[in-house]
Amino acid sequence: MRALSIAATGMAAQQTNVEVIANNLANMNTTGYKTQVAEFQDLLYQNVQQPGAQSSDSNTLLPSGIQLGSGVQTAAVARVMTQGALGQTSNPYDVAVQGEGYFRITLPDGTFAFTRAGNFALSPTGQIVTQQGYPVAPGITVPPTATSVQINAQGQVLATIPGQTAPQLQGQLELDRFPNEGGLSAQGGNLFIETASSGAPQAGVPGSTGYGTIQQGYLESSNVDPVSAITSLITAQRAYEMNSKVITAANDMLQETDNMGQG
Amino acid sequence: MDTTQLVCLSQELAAYQSMDAIANNLANVSTPGFKGETPKFQEYLDQEQPSEGQTGTQSVSFVQQTGMIRDMSEGHIDITNAPYDVAINGPGYFVVQTANGPRYTRDGHFSLDSQNRIVDEAGDPVQGSGGDITIQLTDGDIHIAADGTVSGVNGQIGQLNIVDFANDRALVKEGGNLYSTTQTANTAASATVQQGAIENSNIQPVVEISKMIEVMRSYQAVINLSTSQANSEQQTLDKLATVQS
Repeated sequence: MRALSIAATGMAAQQTNVEVIANNLANMNTTGYKTQVAEFQDLLYQNVQQPGAQSSDSNTLLPSGIQLGSGVQTAAVARVMTQGALGQTSNPYDVAVQGEGYFRITLPDGTFAFTRAGNFALSPTGQIVTQQGYPVAPGITVPPTATSVQINAQGQVLATIPGQTAPQLQGQLELDRFPNEGGLSAQGGNLFIETASSGAPQAGVPGSTGYGTIQQGYLESSNVDPVSAITSLITAQRAYEMNSKVITAANDMLQETDNMGQG
Repeated sequence: MDTTQLVCLSQELAAYQSMDAIANNLANVSTPGFKGETPKFQEYLDQEQPSEGQTGTQSVSFVQQTGMIRDMSEGHIDITNAPYDVAINGPGYFVVQTANGPRYTRDGHFSLDSQNRIVDEAGDPVQGSGGDITIQLTDGDIHIAADGTVSGVNGQIGQLNIVDFANDRALVKEGGNLYSTTQTANTAASATVQQGAIENSNIQPVVEISKMIEVMRSYQAVINLSTSQANSEQQTLDKLATVQS
């Protein structure tokens, strides 16, 4: 009886759905986190009677055939790439991207990771680094004598140094864009790495065409909407229950079969 | 087996087929663009010669499955606000170019691939009026109009191809939310598209659960019939045996 295995695929899919929603809710306050959505698709069909097959010698066609479905599968867990709200922090090394683009981070092995979480800090050597201590590319060092640091919308890092009237340019933050952001591979720690499906990063200056601008003293909140997350959770739970009802019903039918002739 | 048991068997098999169809519908309650299906049964008449004491031909009706009826009603539209989520209002299908030729779908959950083309979940390019639709990084925010026109800050980029068929119930389900057909695809006249939305499955859980209960009850009824028939045969044999001894 295939109803049992079909309902099992339904339960597995809804379980994935609940896990994705749980991860979204857990990351509700994670800087730069993007909501994930599980996407489903139907599984292969068994053709018992092909639609459009002839039903008689005089060329009458079956209006619809018999195709038996075999359930559902998770097709993808996609990320919703909408902008999260910008929250003010007043920390000079907190920067948010308003619009498109990722900060490029140099990992200890020399490869690059990308992030929307701009909660940066200074390293002991004065370099701008992430919370894990990884330098933000291209590598900007703020002199220890600087009394204040300004990062403008174009990503220029300017430091006010005693004895100098004008703020001094220390470096330029860059943003990277991808043809398919959804194809980036999440590494945890708010970091993503490039994959064959994301395409190669295309670096640009903040504020140029297609790239976002930098907001100093702000952080991008996660774009998780708790209300829609909870409603999806309820829907997923009910769908899970309904699939388990099918298993119970199919089991009852099999039991009846088993009891046949024992009257 | 005698005729009663065979008639019962035909109904038992029909109940199993109904249950499988209901299970597939409920498993796909969250599958975008999914269309529910219900098996259709018909009476199969078998003419038998009259046995002793009967006059005229006796007809016995079995049940047999003749097709699956696809419910073509639209699923409800979920607003997602994702730029490449597109829902179709009205009859029509998106065209995707797969390795096996064009396939049709109502699941409008698209994204871009590494070559900037609009693709479906399997990575197959969605077809516009002029083939693949390629978005440039400089196009900025993408707007998809009701007629399927895709445009960015630099103007029109392409137009989503929305097609319709003379008999869309005869489209063959391929799995992966795709349909295939040998019918000619016509430009859909009355379909409009909505950006930032997804058409959900058109399964109504309450209907499926009610059908499931009905199938279970009819299955129990036929099993009871089959069992009592077997019992009366047994009793007949027992009584006959008693007379002879």
